[in-house]
Amino acid sequence: MSRTLRGVLCLSFACAAMFGLAACGGDDDDGGGSNDGGGAASEVGGKTGGKITTAYTSFPDYLDPALSYTQEGWQSLWTVYTPLLTYKHAAGAEGATVVPGLAEDMPDISADGKTYKLKLRSGLKYSDGSAVKASDFEHSIKRVLNLESGGASFYSGIVGAEKYIEDGKARADIPGIVADDATRDITINLVKPDGRFPYILTMVFASLVPGDTPFENLTKNPPPGVGPYKFENVRINRGYNLVKVPDFNVADQQVGKLDTIEIQVIKNRRRQTQDTIQNKIDYMNDPPAPDQLRDVRAQYTDKRYQEFVTNSTYYYFLNHRIAPFNKPEVREAVNYAVDKRSLARLFGGLLEPGCNFLPPGMKGYQKVDPCPWGDPTAAPNVAKAKALIEEAGVAGDSVTVFGNDEPESKSLAEYLSDVLNDIGLKAKPRIVEGSVYFTTIGNQKTRAQAGFSNWFQDFPHPGNFFFLVDGKSIQDTNNQNYGNVDVPALNAILEEADQNADIDAVADDYARADKLLVEGGHVVPYGHRKLTVFYSERMNFEDCTVWHPVYNLDFTNLCVK
Amino acid sequence: MSIADSSVQPDLSPVLSAGGQAADASAPGLSPWELAVRRLKRNKAALIFGALFFVLVALALAAPLWAQVADTTPARNHLSDTIVVDGKPEQVVTFDGVPISPTWGKKFFLGADSNGRDVAVRLLYGARNSLFIGITAALITTFIAVALGMLAGYFRGWTDAFISRGLDIAWAFPPTLLGVALGVSFALGGLKVGPLEISGDSLWIPTLIIGAIGVVYLARPIRGQVLSLREKEFVEAARAQGASPLRIMFGELLPNVASTILVFFPLLVANAILTEAALSFLGAGVQPPAPSWGTMLSDGVVLLSTAPHLTIVPGLMLVLTVLSLNVFGDGVRDALDPRAKVRLERP
Repeated sequence: MSRTLRGVLCLSFACAAMFGLAACGGDDDDGGGSNDGGGAASEVGGKTGGKITTAYTSFPDYLDPALSYTQEGWQSLWTVYTPLLTYKHAAGAEGATVVPGLAEDMPDISADGKTYKLKLRSGLKYSDGSAVKASDFEHSIKRVLNLESGGASFYSGIVGAEKYIEDGKARADIPGIVADDATRDITINLVKPDGRFPYILTMVFASLVPGDTPFENLTKNPPPGVGPYKFENVRINRGYNLVKVPDFNVADQQVGKLDTIEIQVIKNRRRQTQDTIQNKIDYMNDPPAPDQLRDVRAQYTDKRYQEFVTNSTYYYFLNHRIAPFNKPEVREAVNYAVDKRSLARLFGGLLEPGCNFLPPGMKGYQKVDPCPWGDPTAAPNVAKAKALIEEAGVAGDSVTVFGNDEPESKSLAEYLSDVLNDIGLKAKPRIVEGSVYFTTIGNQKTRAQAGFSNWFQDFPHPGNFFFLVDGKSIQDTNNQNYGNVDVPALNAILEEADQNADIDAVADDYARADKLLVEGGHVVPYGHRKLTVFYSERMNFEDCTVWHPVYNLDFTNLCVK
Repeated sequence: MSIADSSVQPDLSPVLSAGGQAADASAPGLSPWELAVRRLKRNKAALIFGALFFVLVALALAAPLWAQVADTTPARNHLSDTIVVDGKPEQVVTFDGVPISPTWGKKFFLGADSNGRDVAVRLLYGARNSLFIGITAALITTFIAVALGMLAGYFRGWTDAFISRGLDIAWAFPPTLLGVALGVSFALGGLKVGPLEISGDSLWIPTLIIGAIGVVYLARPIRGQVLSLREKEFVEAARAQGASPLRIMFGELLPNVASTILVFFPLLVANAILTEAALSFLGAGVQPPAPSWGTMLSDGVVLLSTAPHLTIVPGLMLVLTVLSLNVFGDGVRDALDPRAKVRLERP
């Protein structure tokens, strides 16, 4: 479903910047949450006005809400476009809660879970002053589907969406979306119930754009949106500006503090770090270069430099269909042998060792404690692993461990290969070029036995992680269940939980699924990625840092001293 | 690597008749090869660097011995290990991913890399791989280039046109890009040509690629020399005696281009080692976990300021090896090239 996310994110900048949550976000959301009388809201303190410069390592994939599928893109697009449903501009669990965006209220969901009714707020205007219409929603979804966006699969569950894609006629109707401009009512009919659909409506893809927006990539000249900022001065591969929309005023929606946020593309992370230290740029989006990290950590112990755990999971897949990992004892042996402390070192400390498959900030997360394979922060049980390999009678069996040519993935594949050799198998790593890595291991003909994998959330719903290990998602090509995990008990839990739109009601089910997956040793999860913020001295990093669980650093809350 | 001055022939009479050094002139019984060896012996720099190269080869051969001393293997991770250095415990790799610097002791003599592997052990095993690829690729290049150059130069006509145009096409490709393209494509699927099957992680993949890339640089000068030699009287005489083309090529012409090959060979080895390092640095050469100086440089470059030993050590080895081969190669050229001799004799 989200194959493109994995591909685009992991290639765009070495899996180093994704969607995530600040479990360790400290007191990020300590602001006053001042809400000016039902009008636009400002979540934390700090003065307004001013201009800052931020550095990105690469230009976002697109600046078009129908197409963008990277963290850099979404981070900016979220400030320019607002979907019918969205998230609060807050850190932690509060920021992961779905709230009305351009819709007046949360959707009215039918008893069978297949019909969603929403009503557009009245008096909404795009940044160019034109009025927002209910039918713009259907047009926005049509753009996602017609432009073959990476997000198209999220909306293919709408009645008639598949046929709309097949026919390829941009102006054709999607019968599953009924919008009435006069009453501002929007009705969405799904082919089958999907508990994740409210979250899918929060995605940037579903942001409203005017009904006459062309069916083409508009990155050079992004369409107007409804949001606290608008794009200006877009220079492809060089940068762009986010400029505050002065008259943006949507009830309960966050306004921006800064007047202008200039995004510059500076490919060299060392230079970014130096420029930030010297206050030439005000914020760098990626972590400092590995050889600068130690110094930055040591020198900036205040909130000028901070680390946050993201909603991500790094794990090794073990192919259940191919020897020797078709034997449970062998999979258990690998779980016993992997040293999660060592793996954290490969990330320069930017990995939170863990035992769970679900990340700590995700609904349904319940720490598997004690971890059946040993404390993630303690030494592994290699002797036990060796004994299990002997017991399984697979000592000396050949294994190829897959990884890609990104530095961390390569090191991780080499590490696992060494561990497997240590416990009695005969392993060697195979490094595949990054752009084709996931399609290569996702092709059953490759017969990938074991290897590196990771996942960063599309939206804060556990179902967005569990499809990676759901037996139903196994495919011959483009498979994302790389280990071909097909556990009937797990499948049954997911089948039921995925249909329920009430995430709180099924959180325990997902926790049960997580425990089942971990205790069965079906995959080898070892941690959750941390990302960083690093500011110049000009920034008010004490009061204005909000690490959002989906969009990372919230630009609308940034402010200068 | 220019061949403009490589019209080297074993027939050194013109040089000698032009007034060679007294030592040469006073030894009329010496063969051209003996004269060349004598000249080489006089070139101290070439001998010193030649000896350095053999020391490097000896070190590479001793890699397993050092691995035993260090109690590890080139692929063994020690990420969470702690060792005692100067009586103090030190982490092999710190929590923030910075590897230990050279300890100058048995373990981690030259420090560790970011995977906690012993750099000294990897360096020596990397030397084995780099030297194997360099020497073998140079042999492959020489074999193919000599065969093509001889065929093109001797038969001329369509044969020459076909081979020369093929070389022109190969010449048109940037060698590193061609190497990367071939290396990446073969790394995953391996190489299958008829019964020949080589796995993607085999050292033979970069060896064959580098060997093939180098052909164009040697085949052209060989061809040029053969074109000239085939008109000489000794070839005509052989032809008049009914010698077959094959016999003329390998019995008469090959010995006459041998000095060119000898001059080129060390330079080809040096070039192949550099190309291997470049391809490995770009991920298209030696495949992990096998070490090579190129992959070591690639692994170390991200920690340039906190762990400079990761780049300095393999970089230094690369420089020393290539320098030793180049200086030694120059010495061989000076010894075999009569014009170089004339140059030396100028007041």
